[in-house]
Amino acid sequence: MEKNNTENNQTNLIEVKEEKSNLLSSSLINSITTNFGDQVKLVYKKENRSKILVSPENLVETALYLRNNHGFDHAESASGTDYPADNQIEINYHLGSYSNTDYYPYILVLSTRVDRTDPKSNSLINIFPSVEYHERETYEMLGVFFLGHPRNERFILPEDWADMPPLRKDFRIKGR
Amino acid sequence: MSSLQEKIDEAKKLSLQITKETEDDRLMTLSVGPQHPGSGHFRFTIKVDGDYIVFVDPDPGYVHRGHEKMCEYRNHFQNIPHLERPVIHDSCNITYAYSLAVEDLVGITVPRRGQFIRALASELSRLSYTLYWLAIYGIFLGHSTMFMWPAGDRELLIDLLERLSGARVTNAFNIPGGVRNDIPYNFKEKCLAQVNYFETRLKEYEDIFYNNPLLRQRTEGVGILTKEDAIKLGVTGSVLRASGVPFDVRKVEPYDVYDEIEFKVQYMKTCDSFARAYVPVLDMRESCHIIRQLLDKMPDSGDVREKLQFNIKSSPGETYKRVESGRGALGYHVVSDGTPRPYRVKASVGSFRNLLALPFLLTGSKLGDMPAIYWSLNYWPVEADR
Amino acid sequence: MASLTPDFRFGNFVASIVWVLFVVLALVTVLILPIIFFTLFYIPLPVVDGQVLTPYLFFSMMVDPSRTLPILQFFMHTTLFKAAVFPGFVFAALIAAVTIFVERKLLAKMQLRVGPLYAGKVEGIFQLLADGLKLLTKEIIVPSGADKPIFWLAPIMFVATAAAVVALIPVAPGWVVADVDVGLIAVFAILGFFPLIALLFSWASNSKYPFIGGLRALHQMIAFEIPFFLSALPVVLLSSSLNLTEIARSQYMIWNIFLLPINAFVFFISSLAELERIPFDLPEAESEIVAGWLTETTGMIYGLIQLGSYLKLYALAGLFVILFLGGWYGPQIFPPELIPGAHESNLPLLQMLALDGVYNAITVNSVFWFLIKTIFIIFLMLVIRGINPRIRIDILLHTGWYKLIVLTFINLFVVLMLIYGGIIGPEGVISIR
Repeated sequence: MEKNNTENNQTNLIEVKEEKSNLLSSSLINSITTNFGDQVKLVYKKENRSKILVSPENLVETALYLRNNHGFDHAESASGTDYPADNQIEINYHLGSYSNTDYYPYILVLSTRVDRTDPKSNSLINIFPSVEYHERETYEMLGVFFLGHPRNERFILPEDWADMPPLRKDFRIKGR
Repeated sequence: MSSLQEKIDEAKKLSLQITKETEDDRLMTLSVGPQHPGSGHFRFTIKVDGDYIVFVDPDPGYVHRGHEKMCEYRNHFQNIPHLERPVIHDSCNITYAYSLAVEDLVGITVPRRGQFIRALASELSRLSYTLYWLAIYGIFLGHSTMFMWPAGDRELLIDLLERLSGARVTNAFNIPGGVRNDIPYNFKEKCLAQVNYFETRLKEYEDIFYNNPLLRQRTEGVGILTKEDAIKLGVTGSVLRASGVPFDVRKVEPYDVYDEIEFKVQYMKTCDSFARAYVPVLDMRESCHIIRQLLDKMPDSGDVREKLQFNIKSSPGETYKRVESGRGALGYHVVSDGTPRPYRVKASVGSFRNLLALPFLLTGSKLGDMPAIYWSLNYWPVEADR
Repeated sequence: MASLTPDFRFGNFVASIVWVLFVVLALVTVLILPIIFFTLFYIPLPVVDGQVLTPYLFFSMMVDPSRTLPILQFFMHTTLFKAAVFPGFVFAALIAAVTIFVERKLLAKMQLRVGPLYAGKVEGIFQLLADGLKLLTKEIIVPSGADKPIFWLAPIMFVATAAAVVALIPVAPGWVVADVDVGLIAVFAILGFFPLIALLFSWASNSKYPFIGGLRALHQMIAFEIPFFLSALPVVLLSSSLNLTEIARSQYMIWNIFLLPINAFVFFISSLAELERIPFDLPEAESEIVAGWLTETTGMIYGLIQLGSYLKLYALAGLFVILFLGGWYGPQIFPPELIPGAHESNLPLLQMLALDGVYNAITVNSVFWFLIKTIFIIFLMLVIRGINPRIRIDILLHTGWYKLIVLTFINLFVVLMLIYGGIIGPEGVISIR
């Protein structure tokens, strides 16, 4: 592909990349849906990003499948979002791959939703060791208990923190 | 000695989980705390048995200011000044990712001249941050000249950033839509002159610092992070590249104009502290090449900014955008619900991800290796705490 | 805050002056004159021009100023002067102070900055004075649970031991505070006391970081004492004497460094380790153990330890010069008399200007060359600080115990062969005898 600096070819380039990554996304999503059927729901599919939603019971199985069959080996980020309107907390794992060069630019978002009143989820630490500190931070910031994580403890907040988990929407910053 | 070796092996195996505190009287608990000339704003507790470290427990949070929570109370423009506080030296990178994410949600593209200027500021920031990191690495090893020279040469780049944005650090230069202002009229010549001079200084660094037998003795073979471990632990940036994985976000997922710039991803295969200290120098040289190409290819005129409303409403949805900062891949996960304020912002910073390698590498090493290993992980305490 | 000045009355002012004069006269008469007369029984007074110096003769110096010169010469040769001023404490402290300042400036130039700049009109000359005064006024914090007697005594012992080493170094023929026949062994014995002081002080500090630092200091200094002694051993063989003045004299023909280059090198490295200078400053490693065994020192205690440290620097540099660089020998560049012909002419003013009797060309020349060489060695030690990081303790012990000892033995055997062959040594071809 020639690289010119004109706007025209610039858009051409973007289209080509999109197609290529869409192919990647498509093949990935296809293989996931083939294996798991309707346990997995596709939320969105964009250039180099796609998001799948699984139920909390299937989380470990899906993660294991992604690691063994597609080579996703680390989590770029793992966090949670509080949705008080749905009474749920959504946990997102942004998975990336360092060993599979096809998936270098690709990030797959593996997400699950847990109940807000008693948030518990299976920890992915045995599959992706890199989520250890991210899950610990999610525990202290949102209150999600990760089953199987060796240390569900305070990490970044001060030792004398006695308030509710700060990233919840009920927690208001003083004066705002 | 054999029982000590057994202890060290056991501790290394359990390093990813909590190590049980032993009741042994031989162990001495040291708090390498925030008030320590060898730790930055970061506390970790170590237990030493003589000269060997058997237990490490990092305890970040000294500078936690709650940036992610604060983002939910401010609109996208107001988020820029406080989001750059985690790394004040590298501020043009940490706000770059956020601007990319917001532009993705709003659905605009930045004009070409703005893209070039953004990339230029990003490279200058990266150089400034890496020099500061190198300076502190020198101090940790007891080499005061290795502190003074990079800190002095950093003034060249800080001067350029000041011409661009008006501030030496915490530039607040990138905003959603482009950059705040255009470059000054004689910036190109000044920038070329200073960057060319800086590159000659890099050669002197290699001669005096990296060829020093004492420094090599202290860092070579120390703190080996094999490629498999690096991938498993999910480290990023120069730590990853020093372990043999040629992963650079600018190359694998080029954002803005990086697909038009030719540069190589510098990586080394030796996986020790020396490689982690040397890869940033190689990266700095590549940055100099990039800056020259950017100045060359920049369009002579044009807008630098797509003017957005102050209370711009981003379309509902979420996005994850990442850039390559001084510490590694810096990603922003922004969730928006259609209001001017983001619903959730999560910054995945390189320091937080590299922190996982710290207990893994330090357990079983000597106390004298602690500064060499700890700072070579390119860990910026303020950024990890956000 | 100031109260109003009371009304000034001239009479009261005169009365207060008269009162001060009266008190001074009374003190002098009642206290000082008896003290003078008591001590005059015990101090041997000098003999000036064939007469014993009496106070009346002393006051007559006002008429003939050149008569002060013999008195000056007498005092310069008393033990008190030698111990306190010239080759002794004040001289060494001055050199130490200048060394600290030069070190800061030199390091600054190497590191592309300026160093002290504002204290004093010219490039921060008075920085040392300012720092000394600042340290005097700081509070001395003794940690809770610290062993108080040792905590207070250890810095004083440190300075005293360093001054004891200084006392053994001769700067010119005849100018040494303590001319001991076993001078070299005395130096080593006194140097062996420093690890003890470091360990005692670090233990008395009752804190973890000083504890680690003290152990490191102990390991380091003991590990390097062996190569230190061994590298000085062939010098004794060559000069067949342990007296430092004799060792310096024996290098009249050829300096020892040309015969013992490896030993000089090993001695230099070992003295860097004894002085805890970079690259060997593990006991004070800042980034690992805060400040090592000096962590709990504050205020004047820290000042005393720094002073002792730099006194030791001068002493060891001086020792290197005596042992290897030919002591005070150098071409005679000072004229035998400052103003030729001043001694024969009996003009007092000319004799004063020519420092007749006080000025000794050989002494001044010796001191000059000794200082030049010592300053050169100190300069080398300072430059090494600017270009090296800190070493790690296992590398240090490995180097000290294995490599340096082997190197000294190699050179020792070479020298023994040469002595046996009759080339060097007391009966050799190249010697002063």
